[in-house]
Amino acid sequence: MISFINATCSFRKNAGVKNLNFSIDDGEFVFLTGPSGAGKSTLLRLIYMDLFPEKGKVLIRDYDSAKIKDRQIPFLRRKVGMIFQDFQLLKDRNVYQNVAISLYASHYKTREIKSRVYDILNQVGLGHRVHHKPLELSGGEQQRVAIARALVKEPIVLLADEPTGNLDPRVSIELINLLYKINKKGTAVIVATHNYSLIKRVPGARLIQMNDGEIASIT
Amino acid sequence: MTILWFLFKEGFKGLLRSKYSGAFSIIIIAISIIMIGFGYIIARDTLFMVENIRSQFDVDIFILSTAGSDEIIAFDKKLRQMNEIERVIYISPETAAKKFKQEFGEDILDILDYNPLPPSFTISLKPIYRNLMSVEAIANILQRDSVVDEVKYRKNFLIILEKYQRIILACVLIVFAVLTLISIILTSNSIKMTIFARRDIISTMKLIGATNRFVKTPFVIEGTLEGGLGALLASLIIYGIIYVQNTYLQSFFDYTLNVSYQYYIALLLLGSFLGWVGSRQAIRRFL
Repeated sequence: MISFINATCSFRKNAGVKNLNFSIDDGEFVFLTGPSGAGKSTLLRLIYMDLFPEKGKVLIRDYDSAKIKDRQIPFLRRKVGMIFQDFQLLKDRNVYQNVAISLYASHYKTREIKSRVYDILNQVGLGHRVHHKPLELSGGEQQRVAIARALVKEPIVLLADEPTGNLDPRVSIELINLLYKINKKGTAVIVATHNYSLIKRVPGARLIQMNDGEIASIT
Repeated sequence: MTILWFLFKEGFKGLLRSKYSGAFSIIIIAISIIMIGFGYIIARDTLFMVENIRSQFDVDIFILSTAGSDEIIAFDKKLRQMNEIERVIYISPETAAKKFKQEFGEDILDILDYNPLPPSFTISLKPIYRNLMSVEAIANILQRDSVVDEVKYRKNFLIILEKYQRIILACVLIVFAVLTLISIILTSNSIKMTIFARRDIISTMKLIGATNRFVKTPFVIEGTLEGGLGALLASLIIYGIIYVQNTYLQSFFDYTLNVSYQYYIALLLLGSFLGWVGSRQAIRRFL
């Protein structure tokens, strides 16, 4: 589903990835680990084509980083869900609107948007918080809103960049359990994290260790 | 339909959300529209004044004293048939003598014992022919007629009038172009501030797979609304100033400001246009 073929990207000095060669299949759970500056976020940005490799290419299903046109990128991103350490929620909109906007952007009909949003919010345990604004929620709840927003469009892969970075250990574990449940339903999940204790909570997950922009090991 | 309704709603909500920066944009647009609105009134009235002066321009045609009455009647008929002429007045020697007396206070017959004043015609040209080139051409044609002794008109008056009209027109065009450009820059910059304050929305929208058009449209709708509201504010201020001038200050300035309702509609359309152009310009750098 996702293939890195000799991909090299150095978008700024001392940051980037070098000569990446690996693939991720449908429905896999993958942890990306490594020290800060190892290239984890760059790798994720290459997947949602916020960055492009200078050498080699990245393939996501039919999308080829070497051939994709600017106007096709939104359509790729509708198939890739993303969550971030800082959640990136719209603070002036409530939970429902934060999740629904993802579907409006993909031109869904109002009735379908409603049913999908309520359904996904119930799945992440936020059915009772639909009318709250992000700042009225805890960190864990905000991250679950971000997950709901990413999942509501039924992506083929969910990318999480340090998703537990702003959360306490108990909430972090809850979040990883939620991502594991999502993965069990068939969505591939790629989590970039420093938190090694979370890795053992997902049985069967692949681990890609990165160092200095290169893959140190894949297990 | 869902998507259109959503984008319009977002545009309206954006206006409410932007509060201070939105209010600032509206004020900036209102100032721009007031400048353009009054610029238009001043230009219009100045050009009207010039045109009014030009309308008083006449051509005098003096007839040979040897011309018979039949020839004069035929010439009168010829003048009235000319497409370029708006009005023809025949001045007989007797009428000319009366005018002389009115103007100089003395009877020419008492001074010279005879009336030396020739018959003449005073003609006014249609507005489009009241320019130097046309007047010269018409004067040349008339001069060639056998009954005409001399064709006289104030050539220097026309030369000066045309020169000043050209200068006024050039000034009006330059001032308008500069005002419009300033308005677009001011509007664009103030809307840019509004968008800058909400740039997180743009980056989030792009991450969730929104196309540039989807991201852009609510901001453009918001900008157009701000433009319309700015123009509405400007129209109210202009209306107030015109009311005060015509009601309380007319005796001081002896000047009546007149504008039609179409003028206010034009201002509203102009404001919306400025907001539309400004917001399109402003959003471009954030996409």
